[in-house]
Amino acid sequence: MSNHSPESDDALGTRLRTELRRYPAPAYLRGSITEAAEPPRAARPGWLAPSLAAAAMALVLLLASIPFLPRLLPADPTERLVRSVVAEHTRALMWGARRQEAVPSALPWLTQESGIALRKFFGGDDRLVFVGAEPVFLEGRRGVALYYRDGDGHLVTYTALPAPGLPLPESRRVPIENRWRPALMSDSGFSAWVWRQGDLGCFIVADMVSASDVERFKDYFVRLRVSTDPVPAN
Amino acid sequence: MASDEFHRAALEHLDALYNFAMYLTRNPPEADDLVQETYLRAFRFSHRFQPGTHLRAWLFQILRNTFLTFYRLRERESALAEDGVPTWDAPMFHDAPEESSGAVEAHTDLERALRRLPEEFRTVLLLAEVEGMALEDVARILACPVGTVKSRIFRAKERLRGLLRDYTKE
Repeated sequence: MSNHSPESDDALGTRLRTELRRYPAPAYLRGSITEAAEPPRAARPGWLAPSLAAAAMALVLLLASIPFLPRLLPADPTERLVRSVVAEHTRALMWGARRQEAVPSALPWLTQESGIALRKFFGGDDRLVFVGAEPVFLEGRRGVALYYRDGDGHLVTYTALPAPGLPLPESRRVPIENRWRPALMSDSGFSAWVWRQGDLGCFIVADMVSASDVERFKDYFVRLRVSTDPVPAN
Repeated sequence: MASDEFHRAALEHLDALYNFAMYLTRNPPEADDLVQETYLRAFRFSHRFQPGTHLRAWLFQILRNTFLTFYRLRERESALAEDGVPTWDAPMFHDAPEESSGAVEAHTDLERALRRLPEEFRTVLLLAEVEGMALEDVARILACPVGTVKSRIFRAKERLRGLLRDYTKE
């Protein structure tokens, strides 16, 4: 307590507690503190949202227009048929034949479905094992496909389709045993023998593309060509 | 202490901190800024707070340190800018400067007298008498021994009585 003052320390303390005005915090201060304490959101550049929206719209339009875009198909009908046959071969390679049938037990059904009659067919030997046969529909034509597998696991697909007057590129024709001159074509990494047999176009497809493979592929052609005789079913 | 819980507990002392800030700055916008800065620092460094100790005292300590860091520095800078003379030799317990134009008006002689006290005296009275804090907490806030706190309270009251006497004579 001070000796110089009539007011005691306790009395002065009481006055400070009771008489001194208190300043309550303004209402907005609590809100601004809470807001400022929140973690800042990642800043996004202003151009990002419109750009993303435009890109998304362009993608939607592109996807919607894909069915109407012209397909990049070969103009040459033979090349186009080869591409379809190779695609079917690839499908069989990946997923197997849709319906495997043991010819000739299913021959009437196969002939009816494919429109191709097999007067004789290659049923397999010590080099090629017959896997199955099924009707196919390629480039708007019904046909027949026979599947074989060789000792190395190569799938070999024989296909016969109606193709009257199918042009064969002279530059690709390969003489085999002085009897046949099929064209050796390629598509998507597969090799294909292509030849005409009456009004039918015939194809043998396999993934045999190296020089040594070609010799073996010739051998497969001979085996299949000699033993298979497809004709249009009337 | 979880973040949300800490925020909630800290905001319970908002009114007391604002009152303290008003008596330090005597200016509502500056008090707003000071309190807001105090809370931002408290939230940012909440991991340094030891649960079980006095959150209230910790917040007051942050507020006072912030005030001393920014506001006192600003006062010194403005003094230097005005007359170019360093204020290093200014007495520690100098009287508070005259109120600025934005300052709120003192309602009573007691408030007026308190405002005239040097910050060190004003603070110790506000913490110990107005806020009713324990001397140990006040000592922690002021970063000085308890004995120093007692001494400052005694001297602050003596200065306050002198000012009140002067007002009575006017």
